Amino acid sequence: MNQEPWAVSSDPASLSSSTSSATPPPRRRRWPTVAMIVLLVLATVGAVTATVVAVDQRDVAEQWEERALALEAQRDTVDDQRAEVADQLEATLDALTTSERDVDELEDRVRTLADEKARAEDTATTVQVERDVFIELSELISDATGALDTCVAQLFDLQSASVEAFNRANTGQDVDIDALNARSGEVTRFCNEARTAAASAEAAADRLLRS
Amino acid sequence: MSSRLRIGGLLLAGLALAACVEPPTAPLDTPAGVETEGFEMPEVAATSVERRAQEVTVRVRSLGCEQFGLGSGFVLADGVVVTNRHVIEQPREVTVNTWDGRSLAAEVTGVATDTDLALLQLEDRGDLPVAELRTAPVERGEEVFAVGYPGGGPAQVSPGRVLGMVDGTVLGEPAEVIRVEVEISLGSSGGPLLDRDGLVVGVVFAVEVDAGVGLAVPVETLLERLDAGELVAPGVC
Repeated sequence: MNQEPWAVSSDPASLSSSTSSATPPPRRRRWPTVAMIVLLVLATVGAVTATVVAVDQRDVAEQWEERALALEAQRDTVDDQRAEVADQLEATLDALTTSERDVDELEDRVRTLADEKARAEDTATTVQVERDVFIELSELISDATGALDTCVAQLFDLQSASVEAFNRANTGQDVDIDALNARSGEVTRFCNEARTAAASAEAAADRLLRS
Repeated sequence: MSSRLRIGGLLLAGLALAACVEPPTAPLDTPAGVETEGFEMPEVAATSVERRAQEVTVRVRSLGCEQFGLGSGFVLADGVVVTNRHVIEQPREVTVNTWDGRSLAAEVTGVATDTDLALLQLEDRGDLPVAELRTAPVERGEEVFAVGYPGGGPAQVSPGRVLGMVDGTVLGEPAEVIRVEVEISLGSSGGPLLDRDGLVVGVVFAVEVDAGVGLAVPVETLLERLDAGELVAPGVC
């Protein structure tokens, strides 16, 4: 360490030489004063620094406090938002449940109506089939009735022809037996066809009753 | 000297403190939005699968030469409907009823000779949803469900599980058939048997009356017939 300019030697020799010479006015020891000044300066600097730091830290503390308050407010806001969202979710869930129930009920209704429609179509198809059968049966019965009616008419004609032939034979007139037999065969064949038609009509009626 | 060191130490400590206690600089975060990704609702998914299954399942009405038949079926792409052969034998007029009340005319395009399957072609394809077929075979114990129109009534979903595969030759089938513990009734014939994902794994065609279990033609048989084109024209009156 360098010797300070205001330091005074403690050598006894020098002290004795100085006392032995002319007596100059005793030098004032200034180092305590300087030291005091230095200490004051340092203390002042330290105090100023501490004050600056303290003020700065107070500002920091205030900022942190503001931030804490802001965070608290934000937390409250978030809590409110969460509660609001929860309420909205609950309301939405209720609405969804209601909608789902409504959709299910509507779909059930659609299925019920579709089922009724399908069954009505089934019935319509069945009725259509029955109507076709009835029409067919009606035609068959009509044909059979007509044929039987014609058969009866032809039988009457044949009967009249037979009676006429019988009377002619009794009076000695010529009778064309072959023509009469041919007519009889034709009437028989026709009446058999009429009976077949009647049987078909009866079978159709029976099929209708069984279906 | 020591006092100077103390003062210097105090100064350094103050400066260090000032350096450590920094003012807040990070901005306040805004509340994050609600994360919904990966949110699953299995009940809704299951409902959707059943709903979809009912939409692809149709009611088949067949007016034959001697009989009036009711059954079920399901829609494939291009307006093709799969059903059972015994539902549409000797068809004169075939109508398909959808779940929402539509009535669509259909024509029988082919029947299988060795299995109880038949294909219809809708005259108006419309916008009907289409069933998807599963190529992987079913497993014993697997959860399945059948959809059909039992008794010609409304569509019915019947859940159950696969009991196993049984020999189908005694039933006139060329291969094994699926034995399922599912409620099957008259009118369910031709309806689909589906897995939990809604994929068709079989075609319901019979029921073991004594055991009360259903039988279904595996979808593999259907795919084989579709791929090979081994279908013939239906019988006529």
